[in-house]
Amino acid sequence: MGTIELLMQGFAVALSPESIMFALIGAILGTLIGALPGLGPANGVAILIPLAFSLGLSPTSSLILLTSVYAGAMYGGRISSILLNIPGDEPAMMTCLDGYPMAVKGKAAEALATSAIASFIGSFIATIGLVILAPILAKFALKFGPAEYFALFALAFATLGGITGKNQFKTLIAAALGLMIATVGIDISSGVQRYTYDSLHLFEGIDFLIAIVGLFAISELFFFLEQHAGDGLKQVALNKLKLTAKDILFVLPASLRGALLGFVSGVLPGAGASLGSFVSYTLEKKVSDTGEFGKGDPRGVAAPEAGNNGAASGALVPMLTLGVPGSGTTAVLLAMLISLNVNPGPMLFQQSPDLVWGVIAALFVGNLVLLLLNIPMVGVFVKLLSIPPKYLMPIVTLIASVGIFSITGSAIDLYFMVGFGIMGYVLRKVEIPLVPVILGMLLGPEMEKNLRHALVLSDGDWTVLWSSGLSIGLWVVALAGLILPMVFGKILRTKMKRSKDGLTD
Amino acid sequence: MRITDRVFGVLLLILAVTYGYEATKFPIPFGGQESVGPETFPILLSIILAIGSIYMIVKPDEDAKWPAVSMLIELGIVCLVLVLFAFGLEYVGFVLSATPAVAFLCWRMGATPGKSLLTGAITSVVIYVLFTRVLELALPSGILGL
Repeated sequence: MGTIELLMQGFAVALSPESIMFALIGAILGTLIGALPGLGPANGVAILIPLAFSLGLSPTSSLILLTSVYAGAMYGGRISSILLNIPGDEPAMMTCLDGYPMAVKGKAAEALATSAIASFIGSFIATIGLVILAPILAKFALKFGPAEYFALFALAFATLGGITGKNQFKTLIAAALGLMIATVGIDISSGVQRYTYDSLHLFEGIDFLIAIVGLFAISELFFFLEQHAGDGLKQVALNKLKLTAKDILFVLPASLRGALLGFVSGVLPGAGASLGSFVSYTLEKKVSDTGEFGKGDPRGVAAPEAGNNGAASGALVPMLTLGVPGSGTTAVLLAMLISLNVNPGPMLFQQSPDLVWGVIAALFVGNLVLLLLNIPMVGVFVKLLSIPPKYLMPIVTLIASVGIFSITGSAIDLYFMVGFGIMGYVLRKVEIPLVPVILGMLLGPEMEKNLRHALVLSDGDWTVLWSSGLSIGLWVVALAGLILPMVFGKILRTKMKRSKDGLTD
Repeated sequence: MRITDRVFGVLLLILAVTYGYEATKFPIPFGGQESVGPETFPILLSIILAIGSIYMIVKPDEDAKWPAVSMLIELGIVCLVLVLFAFGLEYVGFVLSATPAVAFLCWRMGATPGKSLLTGAITSVVIYVLFTRVLELALPSGILGL
């Protein structure tokens, strides 16, 4: 069957009334989560997984729900960038540059609408790219043996810090910690107990959902408490929207360029959404600056937003076809797939095409829903932004705890959640990134399985890991991913910082 | 001073060594020794962690800003409250354990005691009703027996 037919079948799934309802709920929840201070997209999806899980939704429904949440959170994140000048996550930083000045000039509604349109274009184009590229990559990945997979997982960790990563050794430490947590429990292939210390609760290992909620949500609570940030921040008021077709045409080229650049950097290992929005913005500034950039040029909002969303959808390509996520939020999406018993990878496209194409179609539908939802309803979301965190964070913590409690109905999981919260707080203080820890927990079992397969086949000869041309190539990219940031990371980060500082002067 | 990274580097190094040592003590799996066993991957990880932690000790980054001792104690109390909430769930039920926990968190984040208590009570009851009646998830009702 050709891609188009499969996609059409996907649309048949995604356009059923039930799916549209879940897409709508997901889009609203996602936008809220993205807009709320202190909750990033990764956080929000993480809190919702156990809930979707314990509600007993079908895999397709939960996937549609959570992909819409993912897409919605990307939309929501820009609301705080534009109105508060605070990026929800790192890729949203470039949106602040022109978005906030626009808001200060009394054009907040226009800035939000522009970014909504640009986000839509970014996601739309990148999803088309996903449709074209994913099956090709999946077919190619069928050539991978255990040694290649092991190299691929190593590559995922090496490039996770991204080209803007600070300290590569800390990424390494984080990955090792995550992989170590994954080894706790009964070893699948030999039945030996590892690090269980005869505690029955540890026999099945530690659920990564508990770790995700603890590391992200609970540690965030600690940071809010420490910084006394309970009162929230002053935001720019919203004006009445005056957007004409001419305004949209004005930002269209910038959005298209941003979308393409974003998609490419989303697909590439290690580049990620931060680089996508950064490159889109700088290129747009080079191409069309007339002295207005940084002072509230709508094109300066459109380009990074399109880039950011393009990268978010582009990052799904390696995630779905290889099972290797490229960013924090896609790592959480991978967690969602694994907890639904769906194993991403090349086989996924052959074994459950209905699911894959249903999700891809859901991305199209979800983005359209978001665009239609966002322009008229942005006022409601802005209202919710003004709820002070001192009420919001405790409530979010409670909901997160309920989700964790409902997985097994045991209080021990909640103790673990608090433990992971403390660990997350300490790791963030020491500037050890959290995403590799999560990724380690997710990929650990698969990585070990592939290592053992490769070594058993070669009778213990370690050189099998780098004996094929493909695996050597993967190792080279992995090494480059570790070493390049040490050289270029500093330069890029100062550049990003400078363009941000230039604004406040 | 770059003491934070050094201290944590040492702690992580201890962890790496203990973890690797424990791996060598795994019982031999049923069916005899093979070229790769349950200990191979953990030993590899302990080496990677050791390399990373030694780097942290040798080339530490700038120190992070740690909060004052009083704040650390407060965060400790918050952890205790969260643990008590989890403990109380099974004994006094969801509403009675969630109300004081949420109220305490709101209060510590800067809300007035009255408003905190109100937020705690309302959210606990709303979430309880929402989850048990609408979404049909079992939350312990406890001694209230609703």
